[in-house]
Amino acid sequence: MVNLNTIPPKNNREYYIAIGLEGSANKLGVGVVKHPRLASHQSGDNSHICKAEILSNIRDTYITPPGEGFLPRDTARHHRNWVTRIIKRAIKEAKLTDPKLDIDVICFTKGPGMGAPLHSVVIAARTISLLWDVPLIGVNHCVGHIEMGREITKAENPVVLYVSGGNTQVIAYSENRYRIFGETLDVAIGNCLDRFARTLKISNAPSPGYNIEQLAKQCKNKDRLIQLPYTVKGMDLSMSGILAYIDSLAKDLFKENKKNKLLFDQETGEGLVTVEDLCYSLQENLFAMLVEITERAMAHVNASQVLIVGGVGSNVRLQEMMAQMCRDRANGRVHATDERFCIDNGVMIAQAGLLQYRMGDVIKDLKDTVVTQKFRTDEVYVSWRE
Amino acid sequence: MNLDHTLKLEIPFEDAKQANIAVDVLKPDPILRPQDFQVSYKARDNVFVAEFESIDDRVLRVGVSNVIDSLKTIIETMDELS
Repeated sequence: MVNLNTIPPKNNREYYIAIGLEGSANKLGVGVVKHPRLASHQSGDNSHICKAEILSNIRDTYITPPGEGFLPRDTARHHRNWVTRIIKRAIKEAKLTDPKLDIDVICFTKGPGMGAPLHSVVIAARTISLLWDVPLIGVNHCVGHIEMGREITKAENPVVLYVSGGNTQVIAYSENRYRIFGETLDVAIGNCLDRFARTLKISNAPSPGYNIEQLAKQCKNKDRLIQLPYTVKGMDLSMSGILAYIDSLAKDLFKENKKNKLLFDQETGEGLVTVEDLCYSLQENLFAMLVEITERAMAHVNASQVLIVGGVGSNVRLQEMMAQMCRDRANGRVHATDERFCIDNGVMIAQAGLLQYRMGDVIKDLKDTVVTQKFRTDEVYVSWRE
Repeated sequence: MNLDHTLKLEIPFEDAKQANIAVDVLKPDPILRPQDFQVSYKARDNVFVAEFESIDDRVLRVGVSNVIDSLKTIIETMDELS
Protein backbone atom coordinates (compact mmCIF):
# COMPACT_ATOMS: atom_id res chain seq x y z
CA MET A 1 0.00 0.00 0.00
CA VAL A 2 1.41 3.31 -1.08
CA ASN A 3 0.12 6.35 0.74
CA LEU A 4 1.50 9.56 -0.71
CA ASN A 5 -0.36 11.73 1.79
CA THR A 6 1.35 10.79 5.06
CA ILE A 7 3.41 13.99 5.20
CA PRO A 8 0.98 16.93 5.31
CA PRO A 9 1.74 20.02 3.21
CA LYS A 10 3.15 23.07 4.97
CA ASN A 11 0.88 25.60 6.72
CA ASN A 12 -2.30 23.50 6.44
CA ARG A 13 -2.42 23.98 2.68
CA GLU A 14 -4.08 21.48 0.40
CA TYR A 15 -1.11 21.35 -1.97
CA TYR A 16 2.63 20.74 -1.98
CA ILE A 17 5.23 22.95 -3.70
CA ALA A 18 8.73 21.78 -4.59
CA ILE A 19 11.61 23.56 -6.27
CA GLY A 20 14.11 21.48 -8.26
CA LEU A 21 17.70 22.36 -9.14
CA GLU A 22 19.44 20.50 -11.94
CA GLY A 23 23.00 20.93 -13.16
CA SER A 24 24.55 17.55 -13.84
CA ALA A 25 25.78 18.44 -17.35
CA ASN A 26 25.79 21.59 -19.49
CA LYS A 27 22.21 22.57 -18.69
CA LEU A 28 21.33 24.51 -15.60
CA GLY A 29 17.65 24.21 -14.79
CA VAL A 30 15.38 25.36 -11.99
CA GLY A 31 11.71 24.44 -11.87
CA VAL A 32 8.81 24.78 -9.47
CA VAL A 33 6.06 22.17 -9.33
CA LYS A 34 2.80 22.00 -7.38
CA HIS A 35 0.95 18.83 -6.37
CA PRO A 36 -2.62 18.99 -5.05
CA ARG A 37 -3.30 16.58 -2.18
CA LEU A 38 -5.52 13.97 -3.82
CA ALA A 39 -7.76 11.38 -2.19
CA SER A 40 -6.64 8.91 -4.86
CA HIS A 41 -3.14 9.07 -3.38
CA GLN A 42 -4.29 7.65 -0.05
CA SER A 43 -3.67 4.16 -1.37
CA GLY A 44 -2.96 2.36 -4.62
CA ASP A 45 -0.36 2.85 -7.32
CA ASN A 46 -1.16 6.33 -8.59
CA SER A 47 2.16 8.12 -8.53
CA HIS A 48 1.94 8.74 -12.30
CA ILE A 49 -1.19 10.89 -11.88
CA CYS A 50 -0.21 13.67 -9.50
CA LYS A 51 -2.08 16.38 -11.42
CA ALA A 52 1.20 18.23 -11.20
CA GLU A 53 1.09 21.88 -12.14
CA ILE A 54 4.31 23.33 -13.51
CA LEU A 55 4.63 26.81 -12.09
CA SER A 56 7.96 27.57 -13.74
CA ASN A 57 10.63 25.81 -15.77
CA ILE A 58 13.73 27.92 -16.43
CA ARG A 59 16.79 26.58 -18.18
CA ASP A 60 20.09 28.02 -19.29
CA THR A 61 22.43 25.95 -21.43
CA TYR A 62 26.18 26.37 -21.55
CA ILE A 63 26.92 26.38 -25.27
CA THR A 64 30.44 25.88 -26.56
CA PRO A 65 31.76 26.98 -29.98
CA PRO A 66 31.42 24.54 -32.93
CA GLY A 67 33.98 21.73 -32.72
CA GLU A 68 34.30 21.94 -28.95
CA GLY A 69 32.67 19.99 -26.16
CA PHE A 70 31.91 21.25 -22.67
CA LEU A 71 34.55 20.72 -20.00
CA PRO A 72 33.68 20.19 -16.33
CA ARG A 73 35.51 23.26 -15.02
CA ASP A 74 34.01 25.69 -17.53
CA THR A 75 30.55 24.19 -17.12
CA ALA A 76 30.80 24.53 -13.34
CA ARG A 77 31.77 28.18 -13.78
CA HIS A 78 28.74 28.74 -16.00
CA HIS A 79 26.45 27.20 -13.39
CA ARG A 80 27.99 29.25 -10.57
CA ASN A 81 27.52 32.43 -12.58
CA TRP A 82 23.87 31.76 -13.30
CA VAL A 83 22.44 29.67 -10.48
CA THR A 84 21.15 32.48 -8.24
CA ARG A 85 19.69 34.41 -11.16
CA ILE A 86 17.89 31.33 -12.47
CA ILE A 87 16.52 30.44 -9.02
CA LYS A 88 15.27 34.01 -8.67
CA ARG A 89 13.57 33.92 -12.06
CA ALA A 90 11.96 30.54 -11.33
CA ILE A 91 10.54 31.83 -8.05
CA LYS A 92 9.28 35.02 -9.67
CA GLU A 93 7.64 33.21 -12.56
CA ALA A 94 6.00 30.76 -10.15
CA LYS A 95 4.60 33.82 -8.30
CA LEU A 96 5.86 32.61 -4.94
CA THR A 97 5.78 35.61 -2.65
CA ASP A 98 7.68 34.11 0.26
CA PRO A 99 9.73 31.01 -0.55
CA LYS A 100 10.26 30.39 3.18
CA LEU A 101 6.54 29.76 3.64
CA ASP A 102 5.56 28.53 0.19
CA ILE A 103 8.10 25.81 -0.55
CA ASP A 104 7.75 22.38 1.07
CA VAL A 105 11.02 20.93 -0.18
CA ILE A 106 14.15 21.83 -2.17
CA CYS A 107 15.25 19.08 -4.56
CA PHE A 108 18.67 18.87 -6.21
CA THR A 109 20.46 16.41 -8.47
CA LYS A 110 22.66 14.15 -6.37
CA GLY A 111 24.02 12.30 -9.40
CA PRO A 112 25.00 10.86 -11.79
CA GLY A 113 26.77 13.55 -13.77
CA MET A 114 29.90 15.64 -13.94
CA GLY A 115 31.31 16.28 -10.47
CA ALA A 116 32.17 19.96 -10.67
CA PRO A 117 28.86 21.19 -12.18
CA LEU A 118 26.86 19.03 -9.71
CA HIS A 119 28.85 20.51 -6.86
CA SER A 120 28.34 24.14 -7.89
CA VAL A 121 24.57 23.61 -7.87
CA VAL A 122 24.42 21.75 -4.56
CA ILE A 123 26.25 24.63 -2.88
CA ALA A 124 23.37 26.94 -3.84
CA ALA A 125 20.80 24.30 -2.82
CA ARG A 126 22.32 23.93 0.66
CA THR A 127 22.49 27.70 1.11
CA ILE A 128 18.82 28.33 0.27
CA SER A 129 17.81 25.36 2.42
CA LEU A 130 19.56 26.89 5.44
CA LEU A 131 18.41 30.45 4.65
CA TRP A 132 14.76 29.48 4.26
CA ASP A 133 14.74 26.55 6.69
CA VAL A 134 13.29 24.23 4.05
CA PRO A 135 14.35 20.55 3.89
CA LEU A 136 16.52 19.14 1.11
CA ILE A 137 16.10 16.02 -1.05
CA GLY A 138 18.76 14.48 -3.27
CA VAL A 139 17.38 13.07 -6.52
CA ASN A 140 18.82 10.53 -8.93
CA HIS A 141 18.92 12.26 -12.31
CA CYS A 142 17.63 9.22 -14.23
CA VAL A 143 14.73 8.71 -11.81
CA GLY A 144 13.89 12.39 -12.34
CA HIS A 145 13.59 11.82 -16.08
CA ILE A 146 11.43 8.73 -15.58
CA GLU A 147 9.03 10.34 -13.10
CA MET A 148 8.61 13.46 -15.22
CA GLY A 149 7.89 11.32 -18.29
CA ARG A 150 5.32 9.25 -16.37
CA GLU A 151 3.57 12.32 -15.04
CA ILE A 152 3.37 14.10 -18.41
CA THR A 153 2.34 11.09 -20.50
CA LYS A 154 0.34 9.22 -17.80
CA ALA A 155 2.01 6.01 -18.92
CA GLU A 156 1.35 3.62 -16.06
CA ASN A 157 4.04 0.98 -16.37
CA PRO A 158 6.09 1.53 -19.52
CA VAL A 159 9.44 0.20 -20.58
CA VAL A 160 11.64 3.28 -20.34
CA LEU A 161 14.24 4.15 -22.90
CA TYR A 162 16.55 6.71 -21.33
CA VAL A 163 18.76 8.30 -23.97
CA SER A 164 20.89 11.38 -23.33
CA GLY A 165 24.38 12.78 -23.61
CA GLY A 166 25.63 10.74 -20.67
CA ASN A 167 23.30 7.73 -20.46
CA THR A 168 21.77 5.09 -22.67
CA GLN A 169 19.62 2.61 -20.74
CA VAL A 170 16.56 0.44 -21.24
CA ILE A 171 14.71 0.33 -17.93
CA ALA A 172 11.69 -1.50 -16.57
CA TYR A 173 10.11 -1.24 -13.15
CA SER A 174 10.00 -4.25 -10.87
CA GLU A 175 9.61 -4.53 -7.11
CA ASN A 176 10.44 -0.99 -6.07
CA ARG A 177 13.39 -0.53 -8.38
CA TYR A 178 13.86 0.83 -11.87
CA ARG A 179 15.88 -2.08 -13.21
CA ILE A 180 18.33 -1.70 -16.05
CA PHE A 181 17.67 -4.28 -18.77
CA GLY A 182 20.25 -3.07 -21.22
CA GLU A 183 22.66 -0.19 -21.58
CA THR A 184 25.63 1.09 -23.51
CA LEU A 185 28.93 -0.64 -22.95
CA ASP A 186 30.96 2.45 -23.83
CA VAL A 187 29.77 5.95 -24.84
CA ALA A 188 26.21 7.23 -24.55
CA ILE A 189 24.18 7.80 -27.70
CA GLY A 190 24.05 11.56 -27.12
CA ASN A 191 27.79 11.61 -26.63
CA CYS A 192 28.23 9.72 -29.90
CA LEU A 193 26.06 12.28 -31.76
CA ASP A 194 27.69 15.26 -30.00
CA ARG A 195 31.17 14.07 -30.89
CA PHE A 196 30.21 13.51 -34.50
CA ALA A 197 28.80 17.05 -34.54
CA ARG A 198 32.20 18.24 -33.33
CA THR A 199 33.91 16.45 -36.20
CA LEU A 200 31.49 18.17 -38.60
CA LYS A 201 32.12 21.48 -36.80
CA ILE A 202 28.42 22.28 -36.73
CA SER A 203 26.78 24.54 -34.16
CA ASN A 204 26.16 23.34 -30.60
CA ALA A 205 23.07 25.58 -30.29
CA PRO A 206 20.46 24.65 -29.22
CA SER A 207 22.04 21.20 -29.07
CA PRO A 208 24.42 19.30 -31.39
CA GLY A 209 21.95 16.41 -31.74
CA TYR A 210 19.23 18.77 -32.94
CA ASN A 211 21.46 20.06 -35.71
CA ILE A 212 22.36 16.53 -36.81
CA GLU A 213 18.63 15.76 -36.92
CA GLN A 214 18.04 18.80 -39.17
CA LEU A 215 20.88 17.80 -41.50
CA ALA A 216 19.55 14.23 -41.64
CA LYS A 217 16.16 15.54 -42.75
CA GLN A 218 17.82 17.14 -45.78
CA CYS A 219 19.36 13.83 -46.89
CA LYS A 220 18.42 13.20 -50.53
CA ASN A 221 19.53 9.55 -50.73
CA LYS A 222 17.41 8.04 -47.99
CA ASP A 223 17.08 4.79 -49.93
CA ARG A 224 20.86 4.29 -49.98
CA LEU A 225 22.13 3.90 -46.44
CA ILE A 226 25.84 4.01 -45.76
CA GLN A 227 26.87 0.73 -44.18
CA LEU A 228 27.89 1.21 -40.56
CA PRO A 229 28.71 -1.34 -37.87
CA TYR A 230 25.57 -2.60 -36.11
CA THR A 231 26.69 -3.43 -32.60
CA VAL A 232 23.90 -4.80 -30.46
CA LYS A 233 25.36 -7.16 -27.87
CA GLY A 234 22.49 -9.07 -26.30
CA MET A 235 20.56 -6.44 -24.40
CA ASP A 236 23.44 -3.98 -24.51
CA LEU A 237 24.93 -1.78 -27.21
CA SER A 238 28.30 -0.43 -28.14
CA MET A 239 28.70 2.86 -30.01
CA SER A 240 32.35 3.87 -29.87
CA GLY A 241 33.26 1.77 -32.92
CA ILE A 242 30.47 3.30 -34.99
CA LEU A 243 31.65 6.76 -34.00
CA ALA A 244 35.27 6.06 -34.90
CA TYR A 245 34.21 4.66 -38.27
CA ILE A 246 31.87 7.47 -39.28
CA ASP A 247 34.39 10.03 -38.01
CA SER A 248 36.98 8.57 -40.37
CA LEU A 249 34.47 8.74 -43.25
CA ALA A 250 33.74 12.41 -42.48
CA LYS A 251 37.44 13.22 -42.34
CA ASP A 252 38.03 11.54 -45.71
CA LEU A 253 35.11 13.50 -47.11
CA PHE A 254 36.50 16.84 -45.91
CA LYS A 255 40.04 16.02 -47.08
CA GLU A 256 38.59 14.90 -50.43
CA ASN A 257 40.44 11.63 -50.17
CA LYS A 258 39.44 10.35 -53.64
CA LYS A 259 40.83 6.88 -52.88
CA ASN A 260 37.89 6.17 -50.59
CA LYS A 261 35.57 4.02 -52.70
CA LEU A 262 32.59 4.59 -50.47
CA LEU A 263 32.75 8.35 -50.82
CA PHE A 264 34.03 9.00 -54.33
CA ASP A 265 33.34 7.41 -57.71
CA GLN A 266 36.63 5.82 -58.66
CA GLU A 267 36.26 6.63 -62.41
CA THR A 268 34.82 10.13 -62.45
CA GLY A 269 36.03 11.27 -59.00
CA GLU A 270 32.53 12.52 -58.27
CA GLY A 271 31.34 12.62 -54.66
CA LEU A 272 28.81 9.93 -53.79
CA VAL A 273 28.05 10.89 -50.23
CA THR A 274 27.24 14.19 -48.51
CA VAL A 275 27.40 15.27 -44.86
CA GLU A 276 23.59 15.01 -44.81
CA ASP A 277 23.81 11.37 -45.91
CA LEU A 278 26.28 10.62 -43.12
CA CYS A 279 23.99 12.21 -40.52
CA TYR A 280 20.98 10.31 -41.85
CA SER A 281 22.72 6.94 -41.89
CA LEU A 282 24.21 7.46 -38.43
CA GLN A 283 20.82 8.26 -36.94
CA GLU A 284 19.05 5.38 -38.69
CA ASN A 285 21.72 2.93 -37.59
CA LEU A 286 21.89 4.04 -33.95
CA PHE A 287 18.14 4.35 -33.52
CA ALA A 288 17.53 0.93 -35.08
CA MET A 289 19.79 -0.53 -32.41
CA LEU A 290 17.82 1.26 -29.68
CA VAL A 291 14.50 0.08 -31.09
CA GLU A 292 15.77 -3.49 -31.18
CA ILE A 293 16.79 -3.68 -27.52
CA THR A 294 13.67 -1.79 -26.42
CA GLU A 295 11.45 -4.27 -28.25
CA ARG A 296 13.26 -7.17 -26.64
CA ALA A 297 12.79 -5.64 -23.19
CA MET A 298 9.08 -5.18 -23.94
CA ALA A 299 8.79 -8.84 -24.83
CA HIS A 300 10.58 -9.80 -21.61
CA VAL A 301 8.32 -7.88 -19.25
CA ASN A 302 5.18 -8.20 -21.38
CA ALA A 303 4.74 -4.44 -21.67
CA SER A 304 2.94 -2.62 -24.45
CA GLN A 305 4.06 0.92 -23.72
CA VAL A 306 7.38 2.63 -24.25
CA LEU A 307 8.37 5.89 -22.62
CA ILE A 308 11.28 7.75 -24.18
CA VAL A 309 13.08 10.18 -21.89
CA GLY A 310 16.36 12.10 -21.97
CA GLY A 311 17.67 14.72 -24.38
CA VAL A 312 17.95 12.40 -27.39
CA GLY A 313 14.31 11.47 -26.73
CA SER A 314 13.26 14.78 -28.26
CA ASN A 315 14.52 13.52 -31.63
CA VAL A 316 11.41 13.16 -33.80
CA ARG A 317 12.96 10.48 -35.99
CA LEU A 318 13.65 8.27 -32.95
CA GLN A 319 10.05 8.75 -31.83
CA GLU A 320 8.81 7.79 -35.32
CA MET A 321 10.89 4.63 -35.46
CA MET A 322 9.80 3.60 -31.99
CA ALA A 323 6.15 4.27 -32.89
CA GLN A 324 6.49 2.06 -35.95
CA MET A 325 7.82 -0.80 -33.84
CA CYS A 326 5.00 -0.36 -31.33
CA ARG A 327 2.37 -0.30 -34.07
CA ASP A 328 3.60 -3.67 -35.26
CA ARG A 329 3.18 -5.08 -31.78
CA ALA A 330 -0.35 -5.55 -30.42
CA ASN A 331 -1.75 -2.43 -28.75
CA GLY A 332 1.66 -0.86 -28.51
CA ARG A 333 2.04 2.82 -27.70
CA VAL A 334 4.94 5.22 -27.54
CA HIS A 335 5.01 8.00 -25.03
CA ALA A 336 7.40 10.85 -25.48
CA THR A 337 7.57 14.44 -24.37
CA ASP A 338 8.93 17.53 -26.05
CA GLU A 339 12.18 19.37 -25.44
CA ARG A 340 10.83 21.19 -22.34
CA PHE A 341 10.79 17.93 -20.40
CA CYS A 342 13.04 15.60 -22.41
CA ILE A 343 16.09 17.80 -22.13
CA ASP A 344 17.46 18.18 -18.59
CA ASN A 345 15.33 20.51 -16.52
CA GLY A 346 14.62 21.48 -12.93
CA VAL A 347 10.96 20.44 -12.96
CA MET A 348 11.80 16.76 -13.30
CA ILE A 349 14.05 16.94 -10.24
CA ALA A 350 11.24 18.68 -8.33
CA GLN A 351 8.71 16.05 -9.48
CA ALA A 352 10.80 13.03 -8.40
CA GLY A 353 11.99 14.82 -5.26
CA LEU A 354 8.46 15.71 -4.23
CA LEU A 355 7.37 12.07 -4.56
CA GLN A 356 10.30 11.09 -2.33
CA TYR A 357 9.38 13.82 0.15
CA ARG A 358 5.74 12.73 0.28
CA MET A 359 6.94 9.24 1.19
CA GLY A 360 8.86 10.69 4.12
CA ASP A 361 12.34 10.54 2.61
CA VAL A 362 14.11 13.72 3.63
CA ILE A 363 17.74 14.61 4.32
CA LYS A 364 18.40 15.09 8.00
CA ASP A 365 22.15 15.65 7.89
CA LEU A 366 23.90 17.84 5.33
CA LYS A 367 26.52 15.07 5.05
CA ASP A 368 23.95 13.19 2.95
CA THR A 369 23.88 15.98 0.36
CA VAL A 370 27.31 15.15 -1.04
CA VAL A 371 26.95 14.72 -4.81
CA THR A 372 28.27 11.69 -6.63
CA GLN A 373 29.36 11.20 -10.24
CA LYS A 374 28.31 7.56 -10.24
CA PHE A 375 24.77 6.82 -9.09
CA ARG A 376 23.00 3.99 -10.86
CA THR A 377 19.28 4.06 -11.57
CA ASP A 378 18.66 0.81 -9.68
CA GLU A 379 20.29 2.06 -6.47
CA VAL A 380 17.17 4.10 -5.69
CA TYR A 381 14.46 2.45 -3.63
CA VAL A 382 11.22 3.50 -5.33
CA SER A 383 8.93 3.73 -2.31
CA TRP A 384 6.17 5.61 -4.16
CA ARG A 385 5.20 2.65 -6.36
CA GLU A 386 3.71 -0.71 -5.51
CA MET B 1 55.67 15.11 3.35
CA ASN B 2 54.44 17.66 5.84
CA LEU B 3 51.45 19.87 5.34
CA ASP B 4 53.54 22.95 6.02
CA HIS B 5 52.08 25.35 3.49
CA THR B 6 49.26 27.11 5.28
CA LEU B 7 46.78 29.89 4.74
CA LYS B 8 44.11 31.41 6.92
CA LEU B 9 41.12 33.22 5.43
CA GLU B 10 38.89 35.42 7.56
CA ILE B 11 35.74 36.72 5.94
CA PRO B 12 33.32 38.94 7.86
CA PHE B 13 29.62 38.33 7.19
CA GLU B 14 26.71 40.54 8.16
CA ASP B 15 25.87 38.42 11.19
CA ALA B 16 26.77 35.17 12.96
CA LYS B 17 23.89 33.30 11.32
CA GLN B 18 25.30 33.94 7.86
CA ALA B 19 28.80 32.92 8.89
CA ASN B 20 27.45 29.69 10.34
CA ILE B 21 25.49 28.94 7.19
CA ALA B 22 28.70 29.31 5.15
CA VAL B 23 30.43 26.82 7.46
CA ASP B 24 27.55 24.34 7.26
CA VAL B 25 27.36 24.57 3.46
CA LEU B 26 31.08 23.98 2.92
CA LYS B 27 31.67 21.35 5.59
CA PRO B 28 29.98 18.25 4.10
CA ASP B 29 32.12 17.90 0.99
CA PRO B 30 34.97 15.42 1.30
CA ILE B 31 38.52 16.38 0.35
CA LEU B 32 39.76 14.42 -2.62
CA ARG B 33 43.37 13.94 -1.47
CA PRO B 34 43.40 14.31 2.32
CA GLN B 35 47.09 13.37 2.51
CA ASP B 36 47.96 16.44 0.39
CA PHE B 37 45.41 18.99 1.51
CA GLN B 38 43.41 19.72 4.64
CA VAL B 39 40.92 22.43 5.46
CA SER B 40 38.86 23.35 8.49
CA TYR B 41 36.00 25.83 8.68
CA LYS B 42 34.60 27.62 11.70
CA ALA B 43 32.59 30.69 12.54
CA ARG B 44 33.75 33.17 15.19
CA ASP B 45 30.74 35.44 15.72
CA ASN B 46 30.13 37.00 12.32
CA VAL B 47 33.54 36.03 10.95
CA PHE B 48 33.94 32.97 8.77
CA VAL B 49 37.37 31.39 9.26
CA ALA B 50 38.94 28.82 6.94
CA GLU B 51 42.34 27.32 7.67
CA PHE B 52 44.16 25.48 4.91
CA GLU B 53 47.16 23.17 5.09
CA SER B 54 48.85 21.68 2.09
CA ILE B 55 52.01 19.96 0.85
CA ASP B 56 52.93 22.66 -1.68
CA ASP B 57 51.96 26.04 -3.11
CA ARG B 58 50.21 24.66 -6.15
CA VAL B 59 47.84 22.33 -4.28
CA LEU B 60 47.18 25.11 -1.79
CA ARG B 61 46.31 27.60 -4.55
CA VAL B 62 43.92 25.18 -6.29
CA GLY B 63 42.21 24.20 -3.02
CA VAL B 64 41.82 27.76 -1.79
CA SER B 65 40.54 28.96 -5.12
CA ASN B 66 37.86 26.22 -5.18
CA VAL B 67 36.66 27.23 -1.73
CA ILE B 68 36.55 30.90 -2.75
CA ASP B 69 34.50 29.97 -5.83
CA SER B 70 31.98 28.20 -3.60
CA LEU B 71 31.95 31.09 -1.15
CA LYS B 72 31.08 33.47 -3.99
CA THR B 73 27.99 31.38 -4.76
CA ILE B 74 27.02 31.30 -1.08
CA ILE B 75 27.40 35.06 -0.68
CA GLU B 76 25.53 35.84 -3.89
CA THR B 77 22.72 33.50 -2.81
CA MET B 78 22.49 35.22 0.57
CA ASP B 79 22.40 38.64 -1.08
CA GLU B 80 19.78 37.76 -3.65
CA LEU B 81 17.56 35.17 -2.02
CA SER B 82 17.30 35.73 1.72
